[in-house]
Amino acid sequence: MIMSDTKMTDPTMPTDPMAPPYAEKGFFAVFAAEVWDHLWPWSRHGFRRQTAIQAAGVALALAATLIWIYAAMGRMEAGAIVGWWFGWSVFEVVVRLGSKPYVKEGPWWGRRYRRANLMDMICYVGFKNLLIGAVLFIALKSQGILVL
Amino acid sequence: MVIDMPSLLKPFRLLLLLVLAMLAAATHAQTSTYEARLPPELFSARDMCAYTDCASVLPGAVRFSERKGSPTFVEGFDSSDRLLGYVMLSSDITDIPAYSGKPIIKLIGMDANGNFTGIRILKHSEPILLLGIPETALNRFNDQYLGKHVGDRIEVGRTRAGEDVIGVDAISGATVTVIVQNQVIMQSGGAVARQTGILEPIVREQRAFVEMGHQPDWETLVTEGSVQSLIVQPEDVGLEPGDTPFIELWFGYLNHPDVGLAVLGDIGWSRLMERIGDDQAIFIIRTAGAESFKGSGFVRGGLYDRIQVRQDVDVFNFYDLDYYNLFGVAAPGAPRFSESGIFVIRGDSFSAAYPWSLVFLGNRIDQATGQRSFANFSADYWLAADYLEGGRAVIKAPDAPWVRIWKVRAVEIGIFIALLIVVSIAYANRDRLTRASTRKNKWPVNAIKYSAWIVSIFFVGFYLMAQPSITQVLTWFHALLLDWRWELFLLDPFIFIFWIFIIVTVFLWGRGLFCGWLCPFGSLSELLYKIGGAIGLKRFQFKLSQRSHDKLKWLKYVVFGVLLAVSAFSLTTAEMLAEVEPFKTTFLVGMFNRAWPYTLFAAGLLALSIFMERPFCKYLCPLGAALAMPTTFRWFGLKRKQECTSCKACAVGCGSLAIDEKGRIDARECMLCLDCMVLYTDDHACPPLAQERKRREKVGLPLTPIGKDGYYIPIKPVPAAGATN
Repeated sequence: MIMSDTKMTDPTMPTDPMAPPYAEKGFFAVFAAEVWDHLWPWSRHGFRRQTAIQAAGVALALAATLIWIYAAMGRMEAGAIVGWWFGWSVFEVVVRLGSKPYVKEGPWWGRRYRRANLMDMICYVGFKNLLIGAVLFIALKSQGILVL
Repeated sequence: MVIDMPSLLKPFRLLLLLVLAMLAAATHAQTSTYEARLPPELFSARDMCAYTDCASVLPGAVRFSERKGSPTFVEGFDSSDRLLGYVMLSSDITDIPAYSGKPIIKLIGMDANGNFTGIRILKHSEPILLLGIPETALNRFNDQYLGKHVGDRIEVGRTRAGEDVIGVDAISGATVTVIVQNQVIMQSGGAVARQTGILEPIVREQRAFVEMGHQPDWETLVTEGSVQSLIVQPEDVGLEPGDTPFIELWFGYLNHPDVGLAVLGDIGWSRLMERIGDDQAIFIIRTAGAESFKGSGFVRGGLYDRIQVRQDVDVFNFYDLDYYNLFGVAAPGAPRFSESGIFVIRGDSFSAAYPWSLVFLGNRIDQATGQRSFANFSADYWLAADYLEGGRAVIKAPDAPWVRIWKVRAVEIGIFIALLIVVSIAYANRDRLTRASTRKNKWPVNAIKYSAWIVSIFFVGFYLMAQPSITQVLTWFHALLLDWRWELFLLDPFIFIFWIFIIVTVFLWGRGLFCGWLCPFGSLSELLYKIGGAIGLKRFQFKLSQRSHDKLKWLKYVVFGVLLAVSAFSLTTAEMLAEVEPFKTTFLVGMFNRAWPYTLFAAGLLALSIFMERPFCKYLCPLGAALAMPTTFRWFGLKRKQECTSCKACAVGCGSLAIDEKGRIDARECMLCLDCMVLYTDDHACPPLAQERKRREKVGLPLTPIGKDGYYIPIKPVPAAGATN
């Protein structure tokens, strides 16, 4: 991963600026890359640095996916899903801090990125997964296949 | 004054003790009727008063009849066997859920003239009554009905003489609960009063049938809506999902000749009509599920306690005398059934020209706790317009409770929305306000901000009681997972509107506009600090060192995390722990209406606020923490200059301690007071700007306007006219 990093403190950002490799690309490329970023917490760069964590992460991701499939089959209760959601979110925070340690600053349609500290990443992952979880919950519930 | 960690512990030790005392009181708070276990016979036995103290709501009564009527009630007699009045169980008549999503079960007494004589809560599931508000408050609310007539128009709120509306006082902080209670009391009383002649019964217009002369098969009956189904799945009642429904009922109205003949056949229908005369008949068959529609109440008291027919506010229950056997369905293509019956509705309250519904009264079992709660399921029925002379009756549906509240409080809602819009517009124009201000005269900003605080404290907080709370966030999480009902949230228009405002402004500017300008408790807290400073207590006022603050600020996130985690297991416990917010004590219930630990806690926090700016907001507020997290991704932040990285002018004056040693603003902690923005364009206070001002004055250069970047607009030499290179 190539990242630009400035030495001078930028006081308009709570942490130092840090751009992901796609920051300079066109609108649609950046949009697609950001969608991918939201859904895929790993990076090649991170894999090299956190092999053990990343390997466990893949296993956990498979487990989390399996939980959602079970839920979709009507064989999982809300409490279990919330538990897995929480467990996965904690793990995702750790993974992202090693592989994609940046968040967006300012307008979501803008291109200002900065280095994420632990709290930034907790806020990001918590908020993002809450939205994803809510969408999945509502979708499964509306199909009548989630036991609540 | 700046205080570091060791000395900081002193005031916080007291705070900690207050929190512990409050939590201890919370943990041991118990009420007698919260989730009380009531005998199942109470809901079905003919001798209802053998299972509860009916005399407690009908003083003087020594003997009670068996359940009678539809919906049921009992008569109470005095020692000389004179009819004194009536006692009814609210769940026999209505099951309107309260704030908890479950109904409050009440025993209601009414004398023979229709005046309420007693109202007693037998069971409730309201968290607010478990802890925040004493159960006696609901009893006092109920007592307001004593002596009032069932025919009066009683509403929660002000008496409106011109409209003949008698107002009853709400319970601060439990508005939704008492609005529902008012409906339950008036509906229950009205249902019994209409049966006993106290009120004129609702007589629905009967319409003659149009006979088509055909005998539809089962599929046609279903297609045209003459036969409807009510299917309850196992998961609907808290059981493991299975291949078959919990119960599958098919039902229809038999009086119409075409439908009756199709279902019963010529002989069956003719015999039935001869036997029931002018009464109305419906049929029910069970085609799937092991559960019977009879229920256990049938064995105990001959009451079919699992099925009801409802038409508007009227409820029709069925006893064994209202039942006829149904041995077979004549319509070709009818499904096989395992249970069946014809049920008769007597009297002229019921009319097929109006819509009605079949209700299956079930219980939902909470798999985690094993607790049972009422869960009713209904399916609507309205005879096809073609079958009725003149078609279906025209229905003027009454306003839903939340619509009524929005209409009644329209003026206050308008003022509240205006307040939010004015503050938002003012903040959106912050650049103008801060430019008009200087470090020594911040009134252009402060006049609006202080006005917002005053309005927020007295109008929003004390009058409207619209203090947002973390409990609402927790409720939303659960509603999202379990049962989202818009009407529940719409019942409190001010909280509803406030949250829309909060969500929008958090993403635009961060939590600071709500927390710093409009939160009633936050405003009260900072106003006390300002007043303290103004009356000579400035020398006692202090703030923590940046280092200590940077550690302690995480406490509020821990509080939020704990509440969120606990709520996953028990929303009730989480609501109890949410007493860490002193909002209820301060605004909703009142300092002097609560147990001393709560009063001490709230008063202690406010007293501390005189000497320290917003201690609760900075270190304890779980709502602030919940809003701080999305604030990370707010769109528009405050301005900074490159010199801010080395200059400490703003940081020194930052009451929120939100500016770090590199001059960067932590949006999660910032209350958007705009003090740093005033400095930003003040050429006598902002060091780089003041330096440039002095330089220009020294060399006689004009002071150009200050640009958006916070610097003087550069002076660009313009070549003299006609000059050449």
